[in-house]
Amino acid sequence: MSRVGAWVRHPFWQAVLLLILAYLLFKFGIALLPPLLGMHSAPVPTSVVVQYMLIALVGVLIHVSSDETRWRRFKEPIHDTMVDADKRWVRLAVLILVPLLIGWVTYDQTRPKVEAPITLRSIHPAPPSQITFRGKTIQLTGLENPLRHRGSLTEHIETGKRIYYQNCLACHGDRLDGQGHFAHGFSPTPLSFADQGTIAQLTESFVFWRVAKGGPGLPREGAPWSSAMPVWEDYLTEDEIWAVIIYLYEQSGWKPRTWEESTGGGEH
Amino acid sequence: MWRTNLKVLAVALIVIGFYTMVAHVIPQLQSEVPEALALTGDVTPEALAAAGERIYSGAGGCVACHGLGTRAPNLVTDQGGEGTIGARCGSRRPGMDCKSYLYESMTNPGAFVVPGFENIMPDMRRQLADDQIWATIAYLQSLGGEVTVTASDYGTSTEAPTGAAPAAAGPALTATTEPLALLREKGCVGCHAIDGAGPPIGPSFDGMGRRLPADQIRRAILLPNADTAKGYEQFAGTMPQTFGQMLSAAQLEAIVQFLAGRR
Amino acid sequence: MTDVVGLLQAAAQAAADTAGGYGHFPGIGARGAVWIAAEVHLMFAAFVLGVPMFAVICELIGIVGKDEKYDKLSKEFTRLLVFAYSATALWGGLLLFFLTTLYPRFWTHMATIFSRSMWVYAGLFFIESFTLYLYYYGWDRWKVGRAKWGHWGLGLLLNVWGTIVMFIANSWLTYMMSPPSGVTAETLPAEVGLWNAIANATWMPINIHRLIGNAVFGGAICGAYAAFRFLAAKTPEERAHYDWMGYVGNFIAISTFIVLPFAGYWLGREIYEYNQQMGITMMGGFMSWLWIVQAVLIGVLFLAANYYLWTGMGRIPGAERFAPYTKWMLLVLVICWIVWATPHTIIATREELAAMGGSHHPFLNVLGVMSAKNTAVNLMILTTFLSFLIYRRANRRPTVAWARTATIIQTAMFAIAAGVVLFYGVYGYFVEAIVRIGFSVYQVLAVLACIIGVSIIDVFLVRGAESRGEIRWGMMPARSQYALFILAVTFTWLMGLMGFARSGIRQHWHVYEVMRDTSADAATPALGEAANMISLCVLIFLGLVAFIFWLGGLAERAGHKAPVALAVPPQPAAGD
Repeated sequence: MSRVGAWVRHPFWQAVLLLILAYLLFKFGIALLPPLLGMHSAPVPTSVVVQYMLIALVGVLIHVSSDETRWRRFKEPIHDTMVDADKRWVRLAVLILVPLLIGWVTYDQTRPKVEAPITLRSIHPAPPSQITFRGKTIQLTGLENPLRHRGSLTEHIETGKRIYYQNCLACHGDRLDGQGHFAHGFSPTPLSFADQGTIAQLTESFVFWRVAKGGPGLPREGAPWSSAMPVWEDYLTEDEIWAVIIYLYEQSGWKPRTWEESTGGGEH
Repeated sequence: MWRTNLKVLAVALIVIGFYTMVAHVIPQLQSEVPEALALTGDVTPEALAAAGERIYSGAGGCVACHGLGTRAPNLVTDQGGEGTIGARCGSRRPGMDCKSYLYESMTNPGAFVVPGFENIMPDMRRQLADDQIWATIAYLQSLGGEVTVTASDYGTSTEAPTGAAPAAAGPALTATTEPLALLREKGCVGCHAIDGAGPPIGPSFDGMGRRLPADQIRRAILLPNADTAKGYEQFAGTMPQTFGQMLSAAQLEAIVQFLAGRR
Repeated sequence: MTDVVGLLQAAAQAAADTAGGYGHFPGIGARGAVWIAAEVHLMFAAFVLGVPMFAVICELIGIVGKDEKYDKLSKEFTRLLVFAYSATALWGGLLLFFLTTLYPRFWTHMATIFSRSMWVYAGLFFIESFTLYLYYYGWDRWKVGRAKWGHWGLGLLLNVWGTIVMFIANSWLTYMMSPPSGVTAETLPAEVGLWNAIANATWMPINIHRLIGNAVFGGAICGAYAAFRFLAAKTPEERAHYDWMGYVGNFIAISTFIVLPFAGYWLGREIYEYNQQMGITMMGGFMSWLWIVQAVLIGVLFLAANYYLWTGMGRIPGAERFAPYTKWMLLVLVICWIVWATPHTIIATREELAAMGGSHHPFLNVLGVMSAKNTAVNLMILTTFLSFLIYRRANRRPTVAWARTATIIQTAMFAIAAGVVLFYGVYGYFVEAIVRIGFSVYQVLAVLACIIGVSIIDVFLVRGAESRGEIRWGMMPARSQYALFILAVTFTWLMGLMGFARSGIRQHWHVYEVMRDTSADAATPALGEAANMISLCVLIFLGLVAFIFWLGGLAERAGHKAPVALAVPPQPAAGD
């Protein structure tokens, strides 16, 4: 017990402990804060954690070296490890591991990766007010799914289901969760319709636009060509797309966002 | 002593290196220079709009305010259900069509400030040449509307700048935009009567502005066989379909405006 | 109509402009050459303008307080000036040649407008040089009585000339940034009018900003000189002297640095007033990431300055009683630095972006905005001021009867200032942007009021205070001196960075919205490339400065044969 106490009081181990605590705070602690206020939370990006840790390291070094005695005691374990005969093995391990670690980090930073360069990409870019679908101009603003007022809903769902299984399944998956067979080959990965952040937040006309125009039709802020979504207007008719949209909502259980709610706010 | 010197040097180098590294890690943005445009008379609306887009999102600096945050109205997205700028520009100010509204917004931004925003926009004529402004307007119109910017708008630059090859691959064109001279030179008066005189093979130019709006006149010149005026069915197909190639946009516009003005 | 795309790059036109308007420089290019010449010239100029300010103040303290130590210090500062002066002129000449040969069209424009002020400038430069020579070489001749006051007058004159010279040069570059609104591309340069061009929107803000900045910079470089000599010192006396000199340099640098953000704030506001787009380019657009780099540098500055003070407490008897507080002050500084350096738009990988649902983190987003940053900076300033106060108070025991009450009042002032800063920082999240901007003024006023109020009380409080023991000058660990080097390097780099920001917001204009840059280098470089240039300039400058320091030591040895044994008289008060 006293041994542990001596360790905790020693500046060197205090510094190590502080750094570990800081890391835990930055990596996990910060992400725990927003839920306290009932907000949505997310892990802290690595770039920020690295930045914070650098600052914390500088702070800790300043702390241990601002007092003469503390600084001398802080250096003791380092000095001992590098000099003492009975610490030969520790020394050897440190001298091998530290360069290896630096080498690995350098390698990891510089090796070519498959990942696309980081771009600032908006996931739900603002839709245009109208699009040209196979030469026909379609006004998206205020547009509702025409099939909802025409024919029988069960039939549309059947058509949609058939089209989904013929075309969409490979990427968006059997359970509409974006986990199709090919899904892992893409970046960004296909959207999960089960997630409450996708079609649940969108009007059917927005979904129609995204299906019809696909990845190439994304505006600049959506980083065109990053998405592998094909341009479906080349393969499907207007009604087929509307049918598959009905199927998506029917199967996932979400309700499409309606125009009454969304016309008020052009910006979000 | 040298040990100390080396230590000092090492400290300086590490500090400088660290700052340089920090500056390299963050996103690298280079501020672009606007390309010098030299629009000749016969530019297509698409090319004009494309040039305008480069100015809009690049050196014009428009996106600094329009598009981010709440400093200025967002032009490329739907705002308040009125559609993108091309769709809403025509109805912003009563009595002002889309083109003149946009031109005014860029050259005299204080004249009309969209409610909810502040009068912070500079006069773009200080930054952009006239043809760049018109190209930007063409781009804005193309966002949800129809491009109506034509060569007559940036009339000052219809002639190719000195030093640049005139209208690269275009056919040899006379530069005049004087409508009466053109009507004679292109042989129009050979079929169309003007000032009460001339053969009745095509409809008279007199009062043409009363019968047809400008865009239909333009269409009739470019696609003579699309519609045939009542009473001239027997001569249908007589008019050459090559005026599109024979006239520069400025010349075409000059003729169209001239004819539309004949009431 | 026709399918000929009549869109031509006016390449021939631009080429014609470029042919007559620009020269070529091998290797680094014309812009690189001018950049380096201008930046290094500016760094030397800042040094030779900053140092006379406190050389004169030190001399005055020496005369009034009859303290030989300050006089010696002042002379030593001035010796550095003599060498630095010729370096400034050399680099200035280089800049002039580069501008005339590499940017002739632009130079003609400027010369047409400013010719008369350029002649005055050159004349003043002469007068300033001779004043400096008189000041330095006359030091030992006019040493006593009325002659000493005359000598001090020379020093004052040196400052006057230097300030006018700087104001004139500032008018040229501020004209490039913010030409008067009547001037357009069509205006003939001859018609602009000299005074009209000089008194442009950003002239005065830049003048003030640079005046303060020069003092900061001079202090930092002198601190580095002292550190250099401290480490090289062979006798305890020498070490004691340079330890003290380093302290004074650091004190000047940091105390003036605290005022600098306010001048910067004024400059920024003038830029916004002049042209909103320019302001937005600077703060929110193309340049927005630059401020994160600046935050890193300023964080280093604050920590290094405080670190120097804290290590310095080891040589003050009685300072031990404050030792437990330093770690809490450090914690405040570190937290504030973290807040300040938090970016608003975060760099993240795809997975992280997906998890955050955009490039804004739900919590860090809160720290990335101006409200949080202003609060952090103001708290850092307050903490640094507290460090100074503790340092000052360390070896004194006040004897006045109301000492206890005064200390309580001082503590309350700190608490109130910190409270005001925090309150407006948090309240800023609940109001509109336009209201929030006004809050930063309240925060700044609270901090300034606290600094002034506490200082005044303190002056009276320690009057006639008992000493707990002399400051053991020279008993300073070597690592503290490296903090002074870091300060000097960081200030130099910061100057290069801010110079890039000031010059870069003009973007592709030589003279904003009047004369376009049509050279191949017209695009404003990204930060990485700019950082390379800044680092190169800093290295050149520091290399030359190291040479000057070495010369300084050499001259001294030649002059005295024996190493200077500067007697340090008993010093009851910390140098201030």
